[in-house]
This record gives sequence, C-alpha cells and structure tokens, in this order.
Amino acid sequence: MTALVYVLAVIVGLAAGAVGVGGMLGIGMTWRLPALLPLGGVSLVLDPLAGVFLALVGFAAVPASLYALGDTRRTPRGRVAYLLFVGAMAVVPLAANALTFLLAWELMSLASYVLVMHDRESREAIRAGWVYAVMTHAGVVCLVVGMLLLGTWTGSFEVGAWRAAALAPGARNLVWTLLALGFAVKAGVIPLHVWLPLAHPAAPSHVSALMSGVMIKLGVYGLIRISLDWLGDGPAWWGTAILLAGAVSAVVGVLSAIVDRDLKRVLAFSSIENMGIILIGLGAGVLYHAAGLPALAVLGLTAALYHAVNHAAFKTLLFLGAGAVVHATGTRDMDALGGLIKRMPWTTACFLTGAVAIAALPPLNGFVSEWLTFQALLQNLLIERPGVNLVFALGIAALALTGGLAVACFVRVFGISFLAVPRSDASARAHETEVPPRLAMTMLAVACLALGLGATAVAPALARVGSELIGVVGSLALGDALTLDVSGNFASLSVPVVAVALTLAGLGIVGGLAITGRGRVRRYETWSCGRMLQTPRMEYTATAFANPFKRVFHFFYRPVEQIDIAAHPASRLFVQRIEYANPTRSLFDDWLYRPLLDSVHRSVRVVRVLQSGSANLYLAYILLALLVMLVFA
Amino acid sequence: MTSAPITTATNFLAFLGLVSTLLIVWRQNWPGRRRLFIVQSLLLAALAAIIAAYAHRPELFLVAAIVVLLKAWLIPRILGRMAAGTPPRPVTPGRSAGLSLLAAGGLIVAAYVIMLPVTTVSELPTEGGIPLTFAMALIGLFVTVTGRDVLGHILGFLMFENGIFGLALLATYGLPGIVEAGVFLDVLVVVLILEGVVLQIRREHDSIAVDRLRELRG
Repeated sequence: MTALVYVLAVIVGLAAGAVGVGGMLGIGMTWRLPALLPLGGVSLVLDPLAGVFLALVGFAAVPASLYALGDTRRTPRGRVAYLLFVGAMAVVPLAANALTFLLAWELMSLASYVLVMHDRESREAIRAGWVYAVMTHAGVVCLVVGMLLLGTWTGSFEVGAWRAAALAPGARNLVWTLLALGFAVKAGVIPLHVWLPLAHPAAPSHVSALMSGVMIKLGVYGLIRISLDWLGDGPAWWGTAILLAGAVSAVVGVLSAIVDRDLKRVLAFSSIENMGIILIGLGAGVLYHAAGLPALAVLGLTAALYHAVNHAAFKTLLFLGAGAVVHATGTRDMDALGGLIKRMPWTTACFLTGAVAIAALPPLNGFVSEWLTFQALLQNLLIERPGVNLVFALGIAALALTGGLAVACFVRVFGISFLAVPRSDASARAHETEVPPRLAMTMLAVACLALGLGATAVAPALARVGSELIGVVGSLALGDALTLDVSGNFASLSVPVVAVALTLAGLGIVGGLAITGRGRVRRYETWSCGRMLQTPRMEYTATAFANPFKRVFHFFYRPVEQIDIAAHPASRLFVQRIEYANPTRSLFDDWLYRPLLDSVHRSVRVVRVLQSGSANLYLAYILLALLVMLVFA
Repeated sequence: MTSAPITTATNFLAFLGLVSTLLIVWRQNWPGRRRLFIVQSLLLAALAAIIAAYAHRPELFLVAAIVVLLKAWLIPRILGRMAAGTPPRPVTPGRSAGLSLLAAGGLIVAAYVIMLPVTTVSELPTEGGIPLTFAMALIGLFVTVTGRDVLGHILGFLMFENGIFGLALLATYGLPGIVEAGVFLDVLVVVLILEGVVLQIRREHDSIAVDRLRELRG
C-alpha cells in the first residue's frame, strides 16, 4: 500500500515534468472549472514560466519518491500528506486565479506541516512544526490580504485581468509589498527564514529534499510573477529590495551553514544562501527591466531561473544523500560521523557530486548559473545611476563572498562526514543504502552534470521563457552549441571545453607524477606528534573547522565559549576531562523575534484580564456588544 | 385616538408578553419561572394566531400550534426534568430582584431607542409592539447574563428566542416556513443537548451553579 503511494507519486512527478517541459517549450494550455468553487472556480493556465516550475516539481518528485520507495518501513506516516504535497506543488505554478492559487498554496503548506510533524514524539519536531505553522501562516495572511486588495481594486480575481489593469502606483506598491512578504517567507528570505533551519531537518529526508528543492522555489516563482508579470512594469525599488534581500540571505545563509554541526541543518542554511543567489539574479533582472534594458533583464531572469533549476537538482541530491547517511548512522551530528567513504561509496560519490555542484566548481551546473548571475550583475554600468550601481556592487560583493564561503562550507561537510576514520560506533557500523535510493541519487548526480555540460541547451531555453514573460520580441542570442556568449562579446564560457581542460590537467598531473616516479604510493603511519596511540579523537572536527570563521565573523556569530574542566581531586594539574563548546547566538532571535514575541506576550497578559472565568461576565460581553452594535449601527 | 382592532390586540399581547418577561426576572422560585415561561409562550402563540387570521397567512396557524406544542409543553417538561432534584430556590438567597428589574427597565428604554428608526418608517398596524417584543429579547439575554445556574442560562436563552420570534411576527408577519422550522428544531436540539450536559455536570460536580465554573479557568 505504502509502496503504491510512492509509485503513484513517481507517475505524478513524471507527468508533471512532461507537461512542464511542454509548457516551457511553448505549448499553452488552459483548464477551467468555474462551477467547482465560488470566486471564479478552478482556473489553471500553462505558460512557459509555469512550465519551468511545474517541470521542477515533477522532476524533483521522481527521485524523492523513488528514495522513499526504497524503505517504506522508514516512512510509514504521512503518505497521503506526501501525495497531497506533491499534487499541490504541481498546481501552484498553474493557478490562474486568486482562489485556485491560495487553495493550492495553503494545501501545500498544510501538507508539508503534517510531514514536518511526522515524528510526534520528538520535541524538536513539535517545535519545528509550531514555528513553521506560525511563519507560513503569517505569510499566507499577507498573500490573502494582498490578493483580496488586488482583486477588489482591479475588479477581478483572474490573473489575466490583473495584467491588464492599471493600478495607481501607491496601490500597486502596497499589493507588491504584501505579496512579496508572503512569498519571501516561503522562500526563506532573511530575516523571515527562521522556520527553514528547523523544519527541514525535522522532516523525513525525501520531504526535506522536496521542501528545499522545490517548495521554497515556489516563493521565487511568486516573486517573479508579482515583479515582472501580474502587476505590470514595476518601479526600480522592487528590484533593489529583491537584490538586497538576496545579498543578505546569501551571506547570512552561508555564514550560518558553515558553523552548524547538524548535517541537515547545514543543508537547510545552504538553501537560504542559494535562494539568496537566485534573488540576486532576479533583483538584477527587475532593476534592468525598470531601467528599460530588456535584454539584460532577460539575462538576470535567466540566471535566476537557471540557478533555481540547478539548486533543485543538487539540493535534492544532497538531502537524499544526507538522508542515507542519517539512516545508516542514526545521527545528524557531523562530529559523530566520518569514514563513510569506505562504508557508503555510492552515496559518497553522489554526495560529492552534489557538493562540488553547490560549491559552484566547474564543470558542474552550479558554476554555470553563478557565472551567468555574475555576468548579469557586471553589466550594471549601463544603468547610469550611482545609487543603483552601488546596489549592484553590493550584490557582486555578496555573491563573491558567498561563493568562497560556500566552498569552505562544503569542504567541511564532505571532509568531516565522509573522509578520515569514524568518530563514533554508529558511523563505524554504517552500511550502503538500498537500490532505489541509490538510483534516485544517481539520477540527480547525472542531472547536475548534464545541466552543467548542457548549458548551451538549457540557458537559451530558459532565456526564451524569460523573454516571453518580459515581452522581448525575438529570441536572445546566447552563443552557439558549444559556447555561451553573453551580451554579444561581453563574456563567453564553454563548459565542455572547461571540462576537457580540467580532465586533461588532472590526467597531466597524475601522468607527470607517474613518469617522474614521485607518484609512487608509500604506506606509513601518520606522524602523530610522538604519541603512540592514534584515536579518532585526534581528528579535526566540524567544530574546529568552524572556529576560524567564528573568530573572523565574531560580530555576526557572537559565540559563547564554554569550557568545562574536570580535574583530579588531588591536584588540579591532572586533568581528567575537558569539554569545550562555543555555540553561536542568533542575531535574529535576539534582536527581532524575541522582542516581538515579548511584546505579544505583554499585550496578551493585558487582554487576559477580560478572561475572568465568570460565565456571566462572558455572556454580559455578548449583551453589551449587541447593544453597542444596535445603538451605533 | 382610534386604532384598528388588530393594533390593539397585538399591542396588548406584546405588552402582556413583556409583563410575563418582567415577572420572570422578578420571581426567584424556579417552578414559578417555568410556569411564567409557559404563559409567555402561549401569549406568543396567540399573537401568531391573530396575525395569521389578519394577514391571511394560514401557515402561521401551524406555527402557532408548534409553539404551543414545543414551547408550552415539550420544552417546559424537559426543563422540569432537568430541574428535578434541585432546590426550588437558588442556593444563595438574599439577592433582591430590585436591581435586576431596574436593569430590565433600562433595557426596555434601550429597546425603544434602538427600534426608533424602524418604527418611524414602518407603516404596519403592528408596529407598536415591535419595541416591546425586542425588549423581551433583550431581557431574555439579560436573564442569561445574570443567571446563577445553568437553568437560569437556558431559560434566558429561551426567552431571548421567544422575543426574536415575536419581533419577527410583528415586523414581517413571520419568517419563511423553512427558517421558522429550522429555528424550532435548533431550540429543541439545544434544550435536549443541554439536558444531557446539565445531567453530566451535576453528576460530576454535584452542582450546576455557574460560580464554580470559575475554577476551570486556564
């Protein structure tokens, strides 16, 4: 029965993927069921942009469901919720009126909430579910209010009418702000991200993969729609807001990822970082669009879409890999892992592919999209406004810093978790996963490679989607079959050539070492500073790796040093045990959410006076309210 | 001032209804209050019958019959069953009805003030009774508010419902049949459910006094 559900999910995924690709290539479709619901009923429209995100949902759902199929005993709960989750995510990009959109959106949120709460015994999962529910519904409130205002002011709840309507600038800005807030919560934009690092680790791994790979992308989908489509041509500050939010999210996301010890939480923070990169590209696109440079707007949008697709591929892969590791070892703490490369070679190879891709190293896909984002940003001098150029410069700096830190982050994740010797018994007893999860991860690893090497096919396809959305006449030339050329001769990149060059360089080093005889392997004990015994405790740890970053970015992490030394009772010179920890403190919890929640609690205490416990008094409230309404109505 | 017989009749019946309502506020003795409620329901049934005859709305005769059956016989019976075993007077005597009557008087004034816009534009011969029946509804709510045990709350709710029914009769000559039927069913079901609840509360707590609910506060 359980297996059947996941097989069904695979079929739904394949169908959605096929329809999505069809939509991307220009097959338009419209389904309407006006009688089903009030306010215009169900209305679904397939256009190129919807196609991209539908394909994303479909093609990420296939490996995730396949992974879940691998061990149905592990995921006994939440089968119906999983199916609903996948189905609702497939409807969101197609929805063409407010009610359909909001229903699908809410269904997606509720289903994922149930999936986050799947382990009802764990306090962590309950807390994660609670925070997720509160944040996601705060977002939904913004969306509902925004769409109702939009519907009232334009006189229609159909998106087609929204495009045609000319709203007053003030009204348009208000609607954009509300909807952008709602979508930003889902996209995990800093500082609305607090649910993300809690919810993603708490959910089962195939669900985390989908939440991180696809669901948060739908927040980006919404931002694209409101900034470039539904509300017409927006002012430049929309782009500035998106770009700056993206820059902050990218840097803060990767800084948080680099010090966390929880394998899945690192991936969750890295999702925030990648959403930031996507938003930097999108923000650039919106800014160029506002400045009347449509070709560059399409370039920025293409970079954002490309990175969204890429992130879906490698983050799904990494979460499935992390799921395999957690299943094999029973822990998410990197300081208890290690040595998995010998015990789980297949998973290791796939995880490494994902890590290289997400660290944006050539020739994998992450490199191509980040390169495109850079090319979009670097041409900002065509807008001759110093303020805007400054924003772009901040974006470039943030992107560069993020790129470097992301490499360090994934060196740490991969090195500590998979290399060296096991740091715990659980890690030493790890075993390779079953066949379906391996198949799922291999599919995604191949996708990472294909999206990198096939950049000359993918980028023009996404650029067509972008030009269709923005309304640029004629297709944008992006080089030939082997080379990507950006904006004429501004920059070019040939991923296959880079790949061949890298392979040749690698072969050259190996060959050179072999010829000169220096590559001969000599096996000998590692020098251990004169100690006789080597234990895993002497290994470099995740905490140790993170320490230099904690020092450099002290102002952000505000780490607390905790040293606990237990000495021998006879003399304090004989140390029996040392425990060291330096947890970081979240800026957003301390400076934003704690004060906010405290003020809510204070006001609730004031209101609590009304709740006296006397039934007579409560009834008196009703009578009084009735009289007041009748007298003053 | 001459007035049509229908006006005199409806005004008089509405006035008697209000008097019965005030008497319920005044009486402390439970069986007495229950009998007054029967009187109030019978007065409303008579009102319905008169309006049925005047406005040629035969279905209102049926409504009147249902009122007699339901509110003058079945529901009082259930109320009597609920009250079995409780002392006829509240456990804490000594609270005078004077203040309550004063408040009820205030509510009657409020009813006239609130209904002023309706009665000024209304051309109905029955408009004189509208504030009176509305005052019945408000005083019903007031009885609910000041009720010291569950029975008081239920009685207040039923009086409120009676007031609304009378108001609908005088203002629109009765509601559409389906609405009327729905309301009757609601009232019956509410009373039946509350009977179960009251018995349960008494079994658990040995009391149905509302004061003790305060202990449940979170």
